Amino acid sequence: MASFTSLGFLFRFLPIFLIVYYFVPSKFKNLVALLGSLVFYSLGEPIFVFLLIFLSLVNFFIANASCRAKKSTSKKKNRPKIYLILVILLDLISLVTFKVLIAAGFNVLLPLGLSFYTFKMLSYQIDVYRGTIKEGPPILEVITYFCIFPQVAEGPIMRFREGDFFDEKKITLLNIENGLRYFIPGLAMKVLLADRIGILWNDLGMYGYESISTPLAWLGAFAYSFELYFDFWGYSLMASGLMVAMGYEFIENFNHPYASNSISEFYRRWHITLGSFFRDYVYFPLGGSRTSKPKMVLNLSLVWILTGIWHGNSLNFILWGVILGLFIILEKLFYGEFLKKNRIIGNIYVLILIPLSWVVFAISDFPKMGTYFSRLFPFFTTAQVVDQGDIFTYLGDYWYLIIAAVLLCIPKITDLFRKYKDTVAVKILLVLLFWYSVYFCTISEGNPFMYLNF
Amino acid sequence: MKKAPVLLSIIISSLVLLLVGIIGRNNVYAEGTSNGLTEPVLKDVLMGIKDGVYPWHIFDSDVKNEAIEKVNAQRALEEEMLKKQEEALAAEEKKKEEERIAKEEAKKAKPTPTPTPTPTPEPTYTPRYEPLRETTYDEYISHISADIYGEDGVNFASEYKFKNVDITYFDDALFIGDSRTVGLRKYTDLKEHADFLCKTSMTIYKVLESDFDNKLTVEKALKNKKYGKVYIMLGINELGTGTTENFLASYTTLVDEIREISPETKIIIQAIMNIDRTQSTKDKVFNNTNILGRNNAIATLADNENIFYIDINPIVCDEDGFLRDDLRGDHLHLLGKSNELWREFLLAHGV
Repeated sequence: MASFTSLGFLFRFLPIFLIVYYFVPSKFKNLVALLGSLVFYSLGEPIFVFLLIFLSLVNFFIANASCRAKKSTSKKKNRPKIYLILVILLDLISLVTFKVLIAAGFNVLLPLGLSFYTFKMLSYQIDVYRGTIKEGPPILEVITYFCIFPQVAEGPIMRFREGDFFDEKKITLLNIENGLRYFIPGLAMKVLLADRIGILWNDLGMYGYESISTPLAWLGAFAYSFELYFDFWGYSLMASGLMVAMGYEFIENFNHPYASNSISEFYRRWHITLGSFFRDYVYFPLGGSRTSKPKMVLNLSLVWILTGIWHGNSLNFILWGVILGLFIILEKLFYGEFLKKNRIIGNIYVLILIPLSWVVFAISDFPKMGTYFSRLFPFFTTAQVVDQGDIFTYLGDYWYLIIAAVLLCIPKITDLFRKYKDTVAVKILLVLLFWYSVYFCTISEGNPFMYLNF
Repeated sequence: MKKAPVLLSIIISSLVLLLVGIIGRNNVYAEGTSNGLTEPVLKDVLMGIKDGVYPWHIFDSDVKNEAIEKVNAQRALEEEMLKKQEEALAAEEKKKEEERIAKEEAKKAKPTPTPTPTPTPEPTYTPRYEPLRETTYDEYISHISADIYGEDGVNFASEYKFKNVDITYFDDALFIGDSRTVGLRKYTDLKEHADFLCKTSMTIYKVLESDFDNKLTVEKALKNKKYGKVYIMLGINELGTGTTENFLASYTTLVDEIREISPETKIIIQAIMNIDRTQSTKDKVFNNTNILGRNNAIATLADNENIFYIDINPIVCDEDGFLRDDLRGDHLHLLGKSNELWREFLLAHGV
């Protein structure tokens, strides 16, 4: 039930939650949100829900102590800093312990959403330390922020002050209606597009990368790029749609990354809340770009190695981060301006490089990754057993999904949707999309979100 | 309605479908699996649409009766199986009890030990086409494919002397199969010789009703062209569905259908290929024990004249019978390049 695409969530948890949330007086809404979130989380993680509660409480009390120390006499001047270091260590140790255990081959899974909610906690602590969050906010608001169910599993990594937790929320049907306008497209992207294009990528692994033709290897790289994008964008839309239904502001996590003209722009538009986390809490404090060139290169390298580590538990993720960091550094130092002026070239550059980087992201086994690249660029090797016509088989099966995916990557197309969002046609389309997606979830017992184990 | 049309449409349509589900609960959706609590009734309605039962069928008495009959038949079967199992258990208990009493009496009468002649039962000969036993109720409800035939069929089939053939032998061959046969077609040169009717997620239960490429069915394909041999490998997708008896019955129907349309055609039944260790050791349904139960059953169809049974598993599996890790692409499919082994195996097993 801890997945937005299960019938249990859509027709049990969500309606019951929304009805209660809708009817309780404003001052109890945070409490209902918190209780609902703990129920939601414990349905997915009956044991690690206690880790979430524990970390939430510790983070609240330390931040609270830090706020008090700031107000008191100068004797305790160093206290906030000590608190900050302590709590950062605690949050990071929780996250890193699990990651190390997994990397070392222990049979454990990362607790649901750990990498997302610890990042929320870190941002909260740093904001308190910096004074962006002033008065120590009440316990209920803070814990609700850490645990709130739309975001607890896969983000977006919302900041505390983006969440207007103090407002007396007056939820009307309009809030829920508006939420649905984000939620339904997200659901459809995930179920009707990402999961199904994912089968193509899966097939390539099944037959072995050594047996795919070069055109199919490229199609596979694009297919995986689409799968990842619509899976995660879809999830973010669902999460933010739920937040809107609960009276919060919409949090944008994706803004047409594939229309970018450089890798740096791509990552300002892809998983925006993670990118801005690293920007505000790592890159800027280190001096960002307003420093000497060698220092900037160092800063960017650090940010991108951390980004790689955050994404996974095997070496290929670090390699992925290093490659992206490298291109971003090259852009900053050399050809960034050129790409800005030649937008079409920039876009082609992005559309070739990013799918290749996703291949590195997707294949954790290095020899297999090598094989895949030798099929993408078959200049030095000759393949043995290849079905030369395979690209046509797959285009025959997937052409309509590929067209839909390409169209949704074009900003003008989604602008149309936004422009006509109040027309009857779009509303009918939304209802139909909802039922078609629900039908699909039901008959194909969803495969869990790809980002869920991160 | 004006303020929140999408929300209200979804609420109303949900309620309508819920009502449909409740009304149809004991008739058109009688086969449904939802419990109404953790699995919404809606699931039955949506699954129904997939199986061709639409919401308006709750007003269609034919569809209703059909569903009710099906469920009743199912229940009767289950009850019968349960009864048989209980009887068998009771009989065993009784036997044990009798043995115990006999032993005690023998003890009491120690001074005069009479050598009780334990009647050694005559070894009963089992005819090849008769199962050794029936699937029990417990096996049935836990989706276990019972090994009810033993190795007799396999042993008989392996007595046949298969020939080495060259690739042109497959010029008049037809392959029927699921995703595994799709791999064989894609990654070997067999596609240049033989015809293929294969599709991902194909099962023995739907093979006769299915359209393959170019709208071909098994029947049409056999009528269009005269095939010298038909190769079948089916059975992995339907492992959890039905019992060994059902599976064999459907397999027999397919074989009979081919024989009827094209009596001259030789039919080569291929053993279901085993799966790898990771999946087989953790899965209660998809495991090699269940595959063996079904393979032993379909092997009994072989007569070594028109119908043959061949088993690729010794070639592609390790000593424990698991699909080899170096040959597999996932838990149950061969890598593209590994299909070469399958091709060679077929070339060495001509009939």
